[in-house]
Amino acid sequence: MDIPIQILVTGLTMGSMYALAAVGLSLIFGTLGMFNMAHGMFMTVGAYVVFSLASSLGLPMIGAVLVAMLTGALVGILTHLLIVRFMLTGTDFTTNVIVATAGLAILMEDVTLKMFGGYPYQQTVGVSGTFRIGGVVVSLQSLVILVVAMVCIGAVAWLLLKTRFGRAIRATAMNRDAARLMGVRTNTVFLQVMALAGALAGVAGLMISTVATLSPQMGGDPLLKAFVICVVAGLGNVWGAGVCAFGLALLEAAIGFYFGVRFGFPAMLILVIAVLIWRPQGLFGKEKVVRL
Amino acid sequence: MSQNVKTSRRGFLRGTGGVAAGSAAMLAGLNSAAQAQSGEPIVIGCPAPMTGAVAADGLEFRNGLQMAADEINAVGGILGHPVQPVFVDTESRGDDIVIQASQRLIDRDNASALITGYNLETGTAMHDVVADAGIIGMHAMTVAVHDELVMSDPDRYWGIFQYDPPETMYGTGLLQFLKQLEDDGQFTPPNRKLAIVTGPGTYSVNIANALRDDAADFGYEVSLYETVVVPVTDWGPTLAKLRSDPPGVIAVTHFYASDQAQLMNQFMNNPTNSLMYLQYGASLGAFRDIAGDNSVGVLYSTVIGALQDEIGTAFADAYRERFGATASPNSGGQTYTAMHAYAIAAALAGGPGEPYEEDQNRLVADRLKQLIYRSPVGTMRIKPDTQSAFAYPTETNDPSLGMPHIFSQIKDKDRDGVLIAPAPYDVGSFEMPPWMES
Repeated sequence: MDIPIQILVTGLTMGSMYALAAVGLSLIFGTLGMFNMAHGMFMTVGAYVVFSLASSLGLPMIGAVLVAMLTGALVGILTHLLIVRFMLTGTDFTTNVIVATAGLAILMEDVTLKMFGGYPYQQTVGVSGTFRIGGVVVSLQSLVILVVAMVCIGAVAWLLLKTRFGRAIRATAMNRDAARLMGVRTNTVFLQVMALAGALAGVAGLMISTVATLSPQMGGDPLLKAFVICVVAGLGNVWGAGVCAFGLALLEAAIGFYFGVRFGFPAMLILVIAVLIWRPQGLFGKEKVVRL
Repeated sequence: MSQNVKTSRRGFLRGTGGVAAGSAAMLAGLNSAAQAQSGEPIVIGCPAPMTGAVAADGLEFRNGLQMAADEINAVGGILGHPVQPVFVDTESRGDDIVIQASQRLIDRDNASALITGYNLETGTAMHDVVADAGIIGMHAMTVAVHDELVMSDPDRYWGIFQYDPPETMYGTGLLQFLKQLEDDGQFTPPNRKLAIVTGPGTYSVNIANALRDDAADFGYEVSLYETVVVPVTDWGPTLAKLRSDPPGVIAVTHFYASDQAQLMNQFMNNPTNSLMYLQYGASLGAFRDIAGDNSVGVLYSTVIGALQDEIGTAFADAYRERFGATASPNSGGQTYTAMHAYAIAAALAGGPGEPYEEDQNRLVADRLKQLIYRSPVGTMRIKPDTQSAFAYPTETNDPSLGMPHIFSQIKDKDRDGVLIAPAPYDVGSFEMPPWMES
């Protein structure tokens, strides 16, 4: 009985971090039609800013989460104001913005490297202690990660589904021109989406850094996993990204235990290929009908 | 712990201390004889992983090389020419980046030699760049593939040296060490199961395979052979396997300090009654920095690490004084050793050659092959056929003629592990880890 519990604990912990990363990435893609290659660096910056403040001032976990969110949101806003908004109306936006955000990621990584060096720091914020479920010892930090992810994703879901702000985002995601004709300020919506996704990324970075270590490259692996999750869910499908994050993390943990850890990520990639063949629009995506 | 080596520890260390002091004096003597002060600088290129997964090591490689260069310049450089190190970050990435970095150091910076610790490449990325340019290359990749390549074409690879033994020594060395602990009555494993956790790289896998292949000869049964992916964020599935069938010994050959530290942090939430051996990574200050109290009790080994004798301690103290309390002389000592050995060899050869001055650089290579250099990491003596360093005690039972495969145990999170084997370098003895039942 302990083995399924351990798989569940690992899957939920990893799934929480994947979900925080994937939901933000999906939100941006769904609204702006943009794959944000700098999303991993949004996570990294969030983690490093918390590390700096916590090292000098000392921060409780709740304060750290807020700082990470604010940092991520600020980075998202600046990215939009300084780069994305100038490209939105241009031709080949989808391709150009991938190149631009990839360049931004390299720049941000180099700046982080200059400021902090390559030394693998331990995140100073974290919750110590354990509790037991059956024979499995679970760290309190894993529980914190799960709770933070649930609260953040729940808040995003509430924002999107229950507020005027969310309705504007959904309208813009469905049809940008129609939304604008109906009075939605789409440029403001884009800015808000970048801030929201950035905030989620900042928290994701903080949570990842509490169980791994800080390094300027720490966002690379989560970005890759988040991208895989978004493709499986259907690019731009926020709800699907959240569900798939937990599903794939549980699958990865189970494969890791029963077949070997090295087969976990390859299994995810095989699933992507299968999904792209079977349902190119993703598990939660809807087919687009084009009337001629 | 004593090994089957009949050496008077104190007498041996006294003797080698004189050798180390003599090496700097030798270089100074050669320099004053040359009477060629204020010459053109000699560029030493260092392609090292100063960012990314193994940056903790790469930064130390840079520090060690810089410290050695400063010491050499303080006694007049190499025959009056100051040494000028140039560093290029290889970002903890593979062959392509290491080759580009090495080529750039030769073409742009005119490097007479490339000296590094290790890079995350397949083990021979630097070799052809060095061979084509006709210069000297010195690395501590710690790979058997270096030996194979050099032996396959010695006339081409005359200039590339692995200044430590290959990784295969780790496997046999660990099993011999465990046997010695058992023979001495210091450790009785709770059972004869050995769990091996390796990373995906050839280096880690070769060590793991050597362990697996020889385990039965030492009475161990391999109960788990697990390959993890990099980076390891959650050790949950691996730990679940270990906990479902607790082994007497856990040997982790995935050597990244930060991943090993996270393993200990997660292992200590619910430890099994197992001896924990972490290959190499735990020798770094970053490991203790991240794992904190969870690092205490861990065993680690390295085939190239700072000794805790007169020479090694003097180096470690000076190194920490310069680079901070968390600096790691274990890895800084590698490039430090190589730089000093190169400087002596180049001075004895009448000076280094520039790129494509093969005849002069061949003279330097010849001096390196003949050199027996006692450094803070032990004796560097190059095998003529493989151009790797001899290993002690696996390949020679004379500690003055081989680089020691040292085993250490962390007893204080704020200090380097205590060196517990082999004799005559041991300064402490094995203690049961705090999580194990005595």
